[in-house]
Formats: sequence, C-alpha cells, structure tokens
Amino acid sequence: MDRRQVLLLSSLSVIGFSSVGGTTAAVAQAADTVVIAQAADAYSMDPAKHSAYPTANILFNIFDPLVTLGADGKFQPALALSWSNPDPNTWRFKLREGIKFHNGEAFDANAVKYTFDRALDPAFKAPYYSRISAIKSVEVVDPSTVDIKTEKPFPTMLYALYEAAFPALIVPPKYTADGGTDGLARKPIGTGPYRFVEWVKDDRVVLEANPEYWGGAPKIKKVTFRPIKETRTRIAEVKSGGVDLIADVPPEDVPGLNRGETKIATTPSDILYFFAFDTLKPSPLQDKRVRQALNYAVDVNAIQKSILGGLGERIALTLPRTAFGYDPSWKPYPYDPAKAKALLAEAGFPQGFTIPLNSRQGRYLKDKEIMEATIGYLGKVGVKVEAKYMEHGVWAQVSEKKGREGLIFPGWSGTDPDLVWYPLLHTGEYQSYYSNPRLDALLEKGRSTLVEGERLVAYSEAAAIIQEEAPHLPMLQPPLVYGLTKRFTWTPRIDSMIDLRKAELN
Amino acid sequence: MLRYVIGRLLYAAAVVVGVSVAVFFLVRLGGDPTALFLPPETSAAEIARVRHQMGFDRPILIQYLEFASNALHGDFGQSLRYQQPAMHLVLERFPATLQLSAAALSLSLVVSVPLAILAATHRGSAIDRSGLLLSLIGQSFPTFWLGIMLILIFSEMLGLLPPSGRGTWQHLVMPAVALAAYSTAIITRLLRSSLIEVLQTDYIRTARGKGLSERAIVFGHALRNAAIPTLTVIGLQVGALLGGAVITEEIFAYPGVGRLAIQAISNRDFTLVQAFVVLMAALIVTINLAVDVGYALLDPRLRTR
Repeated sequence: MDRRQVLLLSSLSVIGFSSVGGTTAAVAQAADTVVIAQAADAYSMDPAKHSAYPTANILFNIFDPLVTLGADGKFQPALALSWSNPDPNTWRFKLREGIKFHNGEAFDANAVKYTFDRALDPAFKAPYYSRISAIKSVEVVDPSTVDIKTEKPFPTMLYALYEAAFPALIVPPKYTADGGTDGLARKPIGTGPYRFVEWVKDDRVVLEANPEYWGGAPKIKKVTFRPIKETRTRIAEVKSGGVDLIADVPPEDVPGLNRGETKIATTPSDILYFFAFDTLKPSPLQDKRVRQALNYAVDVNAIQKSILGGLGERIALTLPRTAFGYDPSWKPYPYDPAKAKALLAEAGFPQGFTIPLNSRQGRYLKDKEIMEATIGYLGKVGVKVEAKYMEHGVWAQVSEKKGREGLIFPGWSGTDPDLVWYPLLHTGEYQSYYSNPRLDALLEKGRSTLVEGERLVAYSEAAAIIQEEAPHLPMLQPPLVYGLTKRFTWTPRIDSMIDLRKAELN
Repeated sequence: MLRYVIGRLLYAAAVVVGVSVAVFFLVRLGGDPTALFLPPETSAAEIARVRHQMGFDRPILIQYLEFASNALHGDFGQSLRYQQPAMHLVLERFPATLQLSAAALSLSLVVSVPLAILAATHRGSAIDRSGLLLSLIGQSFPTFWLGIMLILIFSEMLGLLPPSGRGTWQHLVMPAVALAAYSTAIITRLLRSSLIEVLQTDYIRTARGKGLSERAIVFGHALRNAAIPTLTVIGLQVGALLGGAVITEEIFAYPGVGRLAIQAISNRDFTLVQAFVVLMAALIVTINLAVDVGYALLDPRLRTR
C-alpha cells in the first residue's frame, strides 16, 4: 500500500466515521417539541450539587419547590398549599396531598425533611448551602404538615425555599438514598411537569411531559435544552427555526429578532446595576456632598436609552421595583451637572479629584459600556476615574480581603431589602463599604421580625437615610432579553428562571 | 533505530511531566476558585470554611505532591464544578473532538495535496495563482470570523446547514471547514514550494531525460521527497487542529473537549483543566513522536543518529 492509498483509505474511514452518531434534528422542530438554547450545559442533575442558573432552569422543570415566585413578585403555593408562623422561629407548611414523584414514590412531609437534611449536612458540600443555612431543623408534624425551624426570626425564609434557592427543590427520599452519591445526579426524579429522558453531555438534555402533573399536564410534549455559548450562533439557531427560545440576546439584536419568524420577550431582571462608594478608606467619597454630587452628575436615563436600547428599569434606590418595600414614590437623583459641580465645590473640590474604579467586566450585560459611559459623565464635572477591571478570580480575592476601592460596580440581586441592603450597607458586612449606626439599627430591625408592617416602617426609614446619605449611585435593573420563534408562547421571569409550566406552541 | 525510539520516548515522558507541573502552578496563579462556586452574598467566614473543606488552604507543594501521586495512579481528582471524576469528563467528550479534527485534517489533505501538485506543476498559471490566493485567505482569516460567516451564510441566509450541535454529517460540515482552513493553506503552500524545489533537482532532470511521463515523475519521484518537510508540518497541524477545535467547538456549540476546557478555565475548575492539559500534552507528544519515527522511516539518513 503506498501513501496515496493510505491517504485515500484514511479519508474514507473518517467520512464513514463521521456519518455515525446521534440524531439531533437538523432544522425545524416537530409540532409538539420545543428546543431551548442557553449559554451553558447543566453541571449536574442533582439540585443540591450545582451553583449555576442554566442548570437550575432545567431542574426547575423536573422538580418542584415548596413555594414559587409569581409574575407579580409575590410567593405562591407550589408543593406547599399554605404557610403560617405558629411562633416567630417556626414556619409551618401545609403540603399538597396525593402527589407522586415520577417513579411513583409518594411526596409527603418526610420528603421535605429529607431534602433539607441532606443539603444541610456539611459533609454533603452543597455549593448553595448558605442560601438555606438559616434553617436549623425540619420537623415532620404529620404526613402533610412540616415545620421549618430557625434560630431567630427569619423574615426572608420563603427566599430560601423557592426555586432560585437551588437546593430547595424537593427530591424523592427513597430513590435518592438508594442511588448512592450520584444516582440522582445522573437520572433525576422529581414531582415536576417534565420527566427526565436523557442527557448527552454538552449537547442536550431531553425532557418529556408528565401527563400526571399536579398543576395540569404541560401543553408541550417534549423539551430539549441545548448549550450554545456563542451569541451569534444562538441567534442563527432561532432564526433558522432549530431552536424556539434563546436566552441572553444583546440589546442591539432586538430589532433584527423582532421581525419575520421570530419575536422578542423581555423583562427587567432582579439584578441591580449601581455603583457603591468606598467610604471606609480615606477619600473624597467620605463626604456626603461628594456622593450626592456623583449621583447628580450621571445621566442614567441617557445611558439606559443608548446602551440598553431603553430596556430594563430605572431604579431610585438599590432595590428592584418589585421588591418588598419598594415605594413607587421614591425618586432617583435627577441629572443636574451644575448642581453636581456646586456640591463638589462646597465639599472643597472645585477642580474635582481622581478616584479609582474597581470592577469585573463582561460579567453582566453591557457592564463595561455602562461603566465607561459613567466615567465620561463624571469627567464632565471634573472627577477623573481610573478604572481597574479585574478578572473573576482576582476580583473574588480582592473582595474577600475587603480591598475594593473608590467607585465599585459589583452587581447584585435580591428582591427584599434584607437581601440587598443588609449585606451591602450594614456595618462590617463583608461586601459593605459603608457604616451608619442609625441605618444599622433599622436594617437589624427589619430582619428580626416577621411582622410585615413593622418591616415596612423600618425599611421606609432606612430608604430615607440611604437616599440622603447616598452610599450608592443606583442605576437600573438591566433587562433579560430572549429571542423566540413566532409559534412559541412563554413569559420571562424577573429572576431569569425558565418555567415551562405555562408555555404553549401554536 | 530502537535507541532512537527509546530516546524519543523518554524525552516525550519528560515533556508531559513538565507540562503537568506548569499547568498545576499556572492555573493557581489567579487565586483559588472557592468564591466562584458560592452565591455572591456568601460571607467571608463561609468562604473560608468551604476553602478549608476543599483543601485549597494547604501549602501548594503539598497540594502538588498529592496531585502528582494521584495522577500517576490515573486519578485526576473530582471536577470542582461537576463533582465527577475530571479525566472521565474529558475522555467522555474526546471522541467528538477527535471526529472533528479528523474530518478537518482529511478535508485539508484532500484539498491541499491535489491543489499543491497542480500549482507546482503549472507554476505561474491561473491555477497556481488562485491556489496561492486561496491559501493566503485561509491563513489570514481567523477561525472565529470564518465560523460566524459560515453560519451567517449557510444557516441564516440559505438555511442549508444546522448552525450548531452534533449528530448528522451536516452538523460536521461547517466546523470542519472552519477548522481546516488554516491547515489547508499551510500544507498547500509548503507542499507546493517543496515540490517546485524538488522538480528542479538533477535526478528529476535525469528522469525527464529518460523519457518518463510527467505523471510518473511527480507521483513516483518528486512527491516522495517533497513529503518529508510536509509530514513534519502535518504532524504539527494535528496539534494545531486539536487546539483550534477549542474555538471552533465554542462557535458551533460542538460537544467536544475544547468547549469543556474553555468553561473549566473560566470556572477555575483546576482539576478539570489539569486533566485536559495533561491529556492534550500526552496526545501531542505522541503525535510528534509518530512524526519523528515516520520521518526516520522516510529518510534512512535519520535512523543512524
């Protein structure tokens, strides 16, 4: 055999080899099948063993939580029918009865206890342990009643029990225990609207409708989740009909997708874009007038319009507009560069000053562009910003040593003041660069009672202090933008979770 | 010959060990990944607790010795993100990458060898000039740009090929073309110039004088000698194809090791990065070894060294 023959044979064998393989549908999908493209594949099929939203989106359609977040930002019953507080340290849940996991195992109070006991065991090493760690114990009262106990009153308990607290999805005790360390991680069994079919790593996760779903059989019979990292490729897929839903569409692609066979779905996210001012280390930012001046100096509305295509939601304080306690009468600082200059002069900086900016880049939608635009506005009132963009790992190290400086663009999310203001503004918290004993007292009050009225009063007073003292420069909730095929009907959620319970094909 | 092969083998083993040391320390330069696995609101105390649990607070030398001794037993540890054996995750996706690289290599050989022969034998002709232009284009267009253009034209505009995924042969066309472009260009240029050089040598003139047909001269005599430098480049290109697959896989959402590696790097999934790099190093070293041996087979002068 000479070289030519070898060459010919080897290329033929490669072509033969190439034609073997799976059978992913090439183009347009079947009438009862939906394909969803996200940026990443699942890490695990065990809800307590991962720390990523793309994974959570898949699992939320296989499993159910006790409570779920409604479109209005309020919690609604899921596996729990109702809840009450017999005492301030107890959350009592009445559970739905007669529900079965996909393998026939019964759902009851014991399943709830098992789910949390498993994820709370330090040896289990759940990455999102801290989301549920306020739970001291779970006690079975009767088969359809369960008590969740805490050390002290914990008003944000429902945030620890809904779908975005990843380990809160309820798993079947017997199946999970029998499966050893990774049985559930390979073949998940839940109570949710979809049953697991197969997972071809980095290629697809396939689910089929659970006709016995307690919330009503889902209308779409088959769902495939595919990981497609490259944005242009995701867009090409939805345009050519190979995929029905793509996440993370850049604002500039909205017009292109909002015509022909595709459409756009968008909602403000629960992510908060804002600058935190480091007031702990000596700098002009320790002066309240300077912080106010910076708030006056930046035209956030113009930034929203030009960089985000007007999408997203302007916020007056660092809190999403649907959050508990957000008062629509709160007003952001207006854009007033003259006032900014006057305040800077009053504070002793008529010529402005130079200040560092610390952030990551590429972490959030258009974050770098928004920071650069802000730097431009600050330059106009004489504040020179020296931006230092850090790589993720470096940022984490700097943050852990509390080494962030100057203007900080951290990004945050949370729909209760206790989940936002306490970690970001309470004295001594690891992400807090501000200290104010009056504010501390109010934030402590807000987290120590379950009585909503008392919490509202505390947070309303706290809001007034935050507005006046300006420890932050609140900007906006960036949008979540999805591209859809015309035939697919689905509503996006503020927390970016993909829920297919109500989705439809026409 | 045996001494030559054994010498090369020892050298290859040393390279793989060296690479494992380098990747172990390089991947740790940017700090440890504990905080990246935890929710953003996690307290410093909780981060410290998890770090201790994962063993990242131990002296780095101890960590390396543990890694090295486990790796020698074939255990590359658990992936930090997937919580599954790291080498298993890499090997699981390896056939897909191998398939893509093999398709790209075949494609580039099928195109470049005939093109180079035609160009060399018709030097200065339109074929030669268009071949040169084509290889210039192939060499200068970056893979990611070419990939996106292919998707734009063949998926979005013409609707002929699926933009992403793996399964049918249609899925393989665009990634293979994008990946093959660079090596096709390089191999064409090199083979063309070596052929031209060989075709001007005395023994070819003798062959012509004997009255051999041009076909017999090119295929029987010239190609064999021109193949020697080309073989080296093809060997190097195999490494480049496996490496280039990283970008190609990302663009076409092709489920291979390259995409796994990119994700592992941005997640700082140390164990997974280590498993990937060690496997790739072993593979490329093996290919180079095969090229060296193949070289010796083609050129008897090298065997005596």
